Amino acid sequence: MMTLRLAFRNLLRQKRRTIFTGLSMLVGFVMGCFFIGWADGAYNHIIDSFTRQRLGHIQIHKQGYLGKPSLYKTIDNPERVGKILDTVGHIDSWAPRLFSAGLVSAGEKSAGVQVIGIDTEREERTTNISNKIVEGNYFDNRIRGVILGKDLARNLHAGVRDSVVILSQAADGSIANARYPVTGLIDTGDPGLNRSAFYLPLEYAQELFVLEGKVHEIAVNAANLNYIEKVAKELKSRLSGTGLHVADWKEFAHEFYVAMSADKGGMYVMLVIVVIIVAITVLNTILMSVLERQKEYGVLKAIGTRPGSLVRMVLIETALLAGACILLGSVIGYFMNLYFAEYGLKLANPIEWGGVQIKYMKGEVNFKSFYLPTITVLVTALLVCFFPALRAARTEPAKTMRTF
Amino acid sequence: MEQCSNQVIVAKNVKKNYQQDSIVVEAVRGVNLTIEKGEFTAIVGPSGSGKTTLLNVLTGLDTPTEGEVWLNGRLLSEMSQRELCDFRRDNVGFVFQAYNLIPVLTVEENIEYVMMLQGVSKNERHRRVVDILKQMGLEGYHNRFPTQLSGGQQQRVAIARAMVTKPALILADEPTANLDSKTSRALLDIMRKLNEETNMTFVFSTHDPHVVDRARRVIILEDGVNVREETRN
Repeated sequence: MMTLRLAFRNLLRQKRRTIFTGLSMLVGFVMGCFFIGWADGAYNHIIDSFTRQRLGHIQIHKQGYLGKPSLYKTIDNPERVGKILDTVGHIDSWAPRLFSAGLVSAGEKSAGVQVIGIDTEREERTTNISNKIVEGNYFDNRIRGVILGKDLARNLHAGVRDSVVILSQAADGSIANARYPVTGLIDTGDPGLNRSAFYLPLEYAQELFVLEGKVHEIAVNAANLNYIEKVAKELKSRLSGTGLHVADWKEFAHEFYVAMSADKGGMYVMLVIVVIIVAITVLNTILMSVLERQKEYGVLKAIGTRPGSLVRMVLIETALLAGACILLGSVIGYFMNLYFAEYGLKLANPIEWGGVQIKYMKGEVNFKSFYLPTITVLVTALLVCFFPALRAARTEPAKTMRTF
Repeated sequence: MEQCSNQVIVAKNVKKNYQQDSIVVEAVRGVNLTIEKGEFTAIVGPSGSGKTTLLNVLTGLDTPTEGEVWLNGRLLSEMSQRELCDFRRDNVGFVFQAYNLIPVLTVEENIEYVMMLQGVSKNERHRRVVDILKQMGLEGYHNRFPTQLSGGQQQRVAIARAMVTKPALILADEPTANLDSKTSRALLDIMRKLNEETNMTFVFSTHDPHVVDRARRVIILEDGVNVREETRN
């Protein structure tokens, strides 16, 4: 108790020095807190945009489909899977899809396409696909046709209300062919998909490919990124033994995940900078303070204070200051991160990542942006002040007091 | 070595050399002395005679280059740094020339500090602080900080701090050197009175003739050697 009191009062002794040391800890903490929040926010925004707007956070396929897609590897009872999905918590939306390839012609032009059969209402709820329509309309009850990637339409010289003919092979081995009106053109954000996307309502696709009641994929969006792991785990458990495979985005978009992880590593550079700032200033000021008080340590040792108690006193002094700075820094960091999470920063030139355009960079308020800088500042300060603390403990009373 | 239970300090052929650059300074050159319980002894000598060095060595604040020091029956050279700290805490009270109170602690906290190290309970600490401040004529000064006290008051607090744990020995290095003659006399009166009432052993260094007059035993140190002794009533 007395050690704590001594440490606390020693902090108030040289206020200017304490403020200087504290400021360096505070700046280090706030920098760390802000950059982690900022990096997490920005990356999570990119990840969420990339997954939520196209792929989904989680995908369900027949076993083996992801590694080697095939028209025949279908989810045969999507309604039953849908009922399960409706009972799992933290799921925001889900959408079944059917995929195939085909040859589309319009007039004398033709092109290879990726046919994507979608449940028009569920797809809209899951990926807000109607927002990407750049010409014409999204599907509704009255309008049933196809939506073409905008570059595909240009290559085919086809526009809205024109007709296109699709030619492919159905699951029963027959020739799949049909004529559809073009209802809209879409800009998916992915140049590759813009050149090949051929969206049509799920029931049309199922009829075309003789896959009635079957789909290839169910895309699932969790309420937010933090729930993905939990939802995927529960789905894996609920769907075990059905021959279906549940994969989260880290698995089905593995390259994207690896790129994101590598980029996120840059955050640790910021923590190293924090360590350097805190270490240099704490070492300087605490060492100066210990050297100034050598005589006092000599007296304390002379009257019976053990060397270990002196080490403890210096460490407590530093820990008290660091604690106060971390508390204050947490408040400042919280409001900074909250502001940037809410309003973000509009980019003058939008960034394109994996076919997704990022117009805003947003921060995030998360636990990591507080506990990592806390550990960094506290551990750095305590480690660095251990050297001055040892000096205090090794004080030779006879030498430092001189007058005795 | 057998120690008589009455002997508080036994120094045998104590020498202390310092290395100053390339020169070896012989600060203490073979001191032999015995201090018994309840003595009120002054170590007297001119500046540079080795008084302070001798006191440092006698209390384990410094190690002798040669010789042995027994304090309260324990040979100091056999103790570790930690043991020495604990031993000083329990057996020696210090009064320094420059008072050396802890500036960030109040009068009460300065006095109770050593008791806290000893693990004395809070109530007992408070009771002893009240008693000793009364003895020192410092009632009502509990919550003052050292900088709010005069030199004489600070030295009285230092004496209170040294005495409050009832150590076997109180060592004072030039305790009146920074005080005026009136305050010095008053302080010496207090120390002598406490010595008579409690039978605590006081050893102090001085070159002030007024202080020397109050001592019952005077050890005269010259060039690092105790050249003679005087005993008074």
